[in-house]
Amino acid sequence: MDTVWGNTNKLFFKVNPSLKFLLVSSLFILYLFVTNLNTMIWTALLFFILYFFVSGLSGKWSFWFVLLTLIVSLFSASAMIFFGKGSSVLFQKGLILITRESLARGVLLGLRTFTFSLIGMVFATTTQPVPFFYSLMQQLKVPARYAYGFMAAFRMIPMMAEEFVKIRQAMRVRGMNRQKGVKAFCERMTRYCLSMLAQSIRRAQRTAIAMEAKRFSMTAERTYYYKISWSRKDIYFVLIVLCTVTLGFVLSNVLPITPYTNVLDH
Amino acid sequence: MAHEKSRNLKLNLTDILVTIVIALVFGLVFRLMGPVYDLVQPLGIHLDALLYGIWFIAAPFAALLIRKPGVAFLAETAAALAEMLFAGSGGIINLYYGLLQGAFSEAIFAAWRYKKFSIGVASLSAFAALIASIILDAGYAYLPLLAGWNLILYLVFRLIGSILLSGLFPYALVKGLEKTGVTQSLRPVTKEDYDVLK
Repeated sequence: MDTVWGNTNKLFFKVNPSLKFLLVSSLFILYLFVTNLNTMIWTALLFFILYFFVSGLSGKWSFWFVLLTLIVSLFSASAMIFFGKGSSVLFQKGLILITRESLARGVLLGLRTFTFSLIGMVFATTTQPVPFFYSLMQQLKVPARYAYGFMAAFRMIPMMAEEFVKIRQAMRVRGMNRQKGVKAFCERMTRYCLSMLAQSIRRAQRTAIAMEAKRFSMTAERTYYYKISWSRKDIYFVLIVLCTVTLGFVLSNVLPITPYTNVLDH
Repeated sequence: MAHEKSRNLKLNLTDILVTIVIALVFGLVFRLMGPVYDLVQPLGIHLDALLYGIWFIAAPFAALLIRKPGVAFLAETAAALAEMLFAGSGGIINLYYGLLQGAFSEAIFAAWRYKKFSIGVASLSAFAALIASIILDAGYAYLPLLAGWNLILYLVFRLIGSILLSGLFPYALVKGLEKTGVTQSLRPVTKEDYDVLK
C-alpha cells in the first residue's frame, strides 16, 4: 500500500469529516447551475491544481487517475457533442451532427463531471471511514445504529474478498471453470452471487445479535471512543475551497477563454 | 386481523446491518461497473444506457429481501455513499442520484403498503428509480437538448436495462436466496407463518 498512498500528513486529512462532506456536497448544487463554459474551464483547471496539492494518492497513481478521469469524463459528454441540438454546423456525416452549441455544451458537461470526480477523489482519499462515521454521529447526529452498521459492514469487506477466493478455488477443484458456454457462465455467476449474498446476510445477522448481546443501545445516551471535534484546520479548509471556487468565477469574467457564456442558448 | 396488527414493521438492528452490508456489496459492484459503463459511452448510440439499470438494484433487492418500510431508501442511499467512499467516477454526484432513486423506489413499495412484493412491483420500483434518474439527468446532463431520435434511443435502452437488471434480476436473486433459507429469519412474521403453527 506504500505506493498507493502518498503523504497522509496533509491538511485535508485533519479536517472535520462532516464539514468536508457537507461542503463537498454543496458544491454539486452550486455547479449544477453553472452554464458558463468559461467558468467551468477555469474551475476544472483550479480544482485540478488543488487536487495535486491536497490529494492523498501518491504521484504515480494520481497521474493515471487524473488522465483516466479526464478521458472518461469527455466520453460521458460524447452523446451531447455528436448528437446535440444546435444551428451552426461544424461537421456532419450520417447521423453525427456536431454543432458549435452542442460542442460547447458537451465540453461543459465533460468538465463538470471531471471536476466532480476530482472533488470526490479528494474526499475519498483523505477521509478514513471510521473517523467519518464517528463524525457523522457526533456532528450531524446520525443515529448510532446506522453509523455503526456502516463501520461493521466495512470490516466485512476483507472477509468477503477471502470468501470470493475460496468459492473460486472450490469451483476450480470441481472443474466448473472449464465448462464453456453461456449457460455455464450464468450458472457460475448465480453461484457466486447467491453464496456471497447468503453468507453476507448470515454474517450481518450474527454481528447484529452479538452487538445486541453486548448491550449495543439503540436509544440511550452514548459516549464515544473517538472524539471528533473542530480545529483551526477546518477554517483553512473552508477558505481554500471558497478561494478556489471564487477564483473560478472571477477568472472566467476577467479572462474568458471562449465566447460561450451560456451553453443553453441555441 | 389481530396478526396483521402484530406485524412488526419497525427496523431493528439486524435489518439495518443486513441492509447496509448488502448496500456495501452493491456499492462495490457499482464501483467496478463504473469503468465498464464509461468505456461503452463513446459509441454514442447509448449502449451505456442498457447498463444504467444496474445502479437501481440495491433498493428493490433489499425491499424484496427484508420487506419492511425504509429498507429500499436506506439500501440505495447507502450503496451510493459506499460508491462515493470507494472513489467511484462521478464522486459526489452519486450520492444525490442514490438519494432520489431510493426515495422513488421506496414510494412504489409504500404505495402497496409493503404487502405486495411481486415481480411486477419490483419492476415498477426499478421504473420509479429510472424516472428519478431522468429527472436529475434532465438538469445535470441537459437531456432535452439531445437530438430527438437519440433521446428516444436513450430512454428506451435505459427502460429495458432498468427492468431487466433491477426488476427481474433482483427478483430472481431473492428467489434463489429463499431456497437457501436465509430470508426466513429476516422477514416480518406473516399470517401464514402463524397458520402453520395451528
